[in-house]
Amino acid sequence: MDLWLPLAAGVPLVAGALTPAIARRHPGLARPWALAVTAWVLAATVGLTRRVVLEGPFSYPLGGWARPYGIELRFDEFSAAAVVIALVAGLVLVYSGPYMRVALREARLPWYYSLLLINLGGLIGFVTTGDLFNLFVFMEIVSVSSYALVAVAGGRIAPLAAFKYLIAGAVSSALILFCIGVLHALTGSLNMADIAARLATAEAPAPILLALAGLTAGLMVKSALFPMHAWLPDAHASAPSPVSAILSALVVKVGVFGLLRVYPMFAAAEAVRLAPMYEILAWLGALSIVAGALFALFQQDIKLMLAYSTISNIGYIVLGIGLANERAMTGAGIHIANHAIIKATLFLAAGAIIHQTGRRTLHALRGVGHVMPWTCLALAVGVFSIVGLPPTAGFPGKWYIALGALDAGRPGFAVVLLAGAVLIFVYYIRILNAFYFRSPSEVGMLSAREAPAAMLLPVLVLAVLCLAGGLLGRWPAMLIGPAIARFPGGG
Amino acid sequence: MVGLWLNIDYAAFVALFCIGLYVVLAKQNLIKKLLGLNIMETAVFAFIVTSGMVDFGAAPIISDDTTGPFASPLPHALILTGIVVALSITALALGLIVEIYRRCGTIEADELKGVE
Repeated sequence: MDLWLPLAAGVPLVAGALTPAIARRHPGLARPWALAVTAWVLAATVGLTRRVVLEGPFSYPLGGWARPYGIELRFDEFSAAAVVIALVAGLVLVYSGPYMRVALREARLPWYYSLLLINLGGLIGFVTTGDLFNLFVFMEIVSVSSYALVAVAGGRIAPLAAFKYLIAGAVSSALILFCIGVLHALTGSLNMADIAARLATAEAPAPILLALAGLTAGLMVKSALFPMHAWLPDAHASAPSPVSAILSALVVKVGVFGLLRVYPMFAAAEAVRLAPMYEILAWLGALSIVAGALFALFQQDIKLMLAYSTISNIGYIVLGIGLANERAMTGAGIHIANHAIIKATLFLAAGAIIHQTGRRTLHALRGVGHVMPWTCLALAVGVFSIVGLPPTAGFPGKWYIALGALDAGRPGFAVVLLAGAVLIFVYYIRILNAFYFRSPSEVGMLSAREAPAAMLLPVLVLAVLCLAGGLLGRWPAMLIGPAIARFPGGG
Repeated sequence: MVGLWLNIDYAAFVALFCIGLYVVLAKQNLIKKLLGLNIMETAVFAFIVTSGMVDFGAAPIISDDTTGPFASPLPHALILTGIVVALSITALALGLIVEIYRRCGTIEADELKGVE
């Protein structure tokens, strides 16, 4: 049982590296192999989460070297996000079968599954590590595999979108690595808990502030917060739909999750105060909510629309972190997981529609609700979730964040939050209106058929989870409660 | 000001980092952007490696006739990992640039805007 923690991240990484070798002899094995590995990871993360619920956070010293000398893997309540990661990755893998057979040359398929597994391993590692440099390494594993995944299917603008994504990602990574170097030079340690203890007595405000500001800025680029969002829409919209689902649901969360990991290090430091940084985060989050929603309002392409709505939803999470009180933080934590499920539903459903009809603008897709009823039903559930209507998965997170804004004595932020929800409602109602209530603008549309079972099933499972996330909204709040209480400003 | 003079190497690496960032942002040619990125990464690597230096420190190899202080070997190990990451990013970016050139016939960012 102890070994499950390192294996949860290690197995998909090794399996990902082996995939092309296996597929060389038996090309058909790549997908079952990836599915089997992901199913194992899901089982392992469920087991680990069960243990954290029963016993509280636990660690595993890699190579038997105790912290602060060795690399520490640590599984706490936030790490339970690994279950959502494995779940979404598994459903995307099921969905990829029929979708990628058309979108990709056959020789490239094993490489695609290999990249997906490596991406999964990086994400699991990212949420379970307790070591700052290890955090960077896993972040890079996630990032580099994502750049490649954007371009994997080719197409006219995909390589350029991938390149833009790569430049933005690599610049922010260089900044983050620089700040890790500053912290290491200051404290002589790389273990995050140990750095927190040593920074408490450090007397060098300027470098600590530099590290804090640099890490924040770098992670903001990774999470595509409003002024640094320019790389996101093209990358997410031009990637194949299963990849868009992974990127939008999971990979952008690396940025916000990184903030949750990095900020506790500075909590006890006497030399800097976190309050101004939280204030900046809250304002940028609010700005992001409105800006993302406004951009989305003017899109015709359904995938671009979803990509801009990711910016808006990241804004909600960052606003929740920035408000820095118990309820807002709880809301941010819940929304990290729930948005992953909602956005995966939306992108996979949209992908199925694009796959079956060959069209991707709202105008051309009019009336699709009548020819693909199940997919569009799932999409509608996703739409109501992303708006935040009860009883769907989008509601608990936004509700907690709004309550947190009131707790903090900042009703203005609660107003922004509601305004954002209304804007989101406006642009998503356009989708539903076009799909169900407008007469088809192209006759060819009516000959489209419902998606094949392997694509429909993951979409429907995710839609059910969207409903479950709302109806069982208290469970994740109870799960991350202890972690929030330990978080600076959260108690 | 004395403090700055003592840490002149750090100041130089920060300057190098900013030069790289300028190249990434200001140059239109994608290869030049990539070069700027590599300059930034090299600046970070050099900064972290020198942060392991100790005044009059010996190489951290224990034998009978060396006595401390020793330089810290950890930053070197970190940077080896960092170099691997930078290398894979560079390789992937070059591959993408080839692909962009094949499809669009140019690798100037301002001309590519028109292609989209």
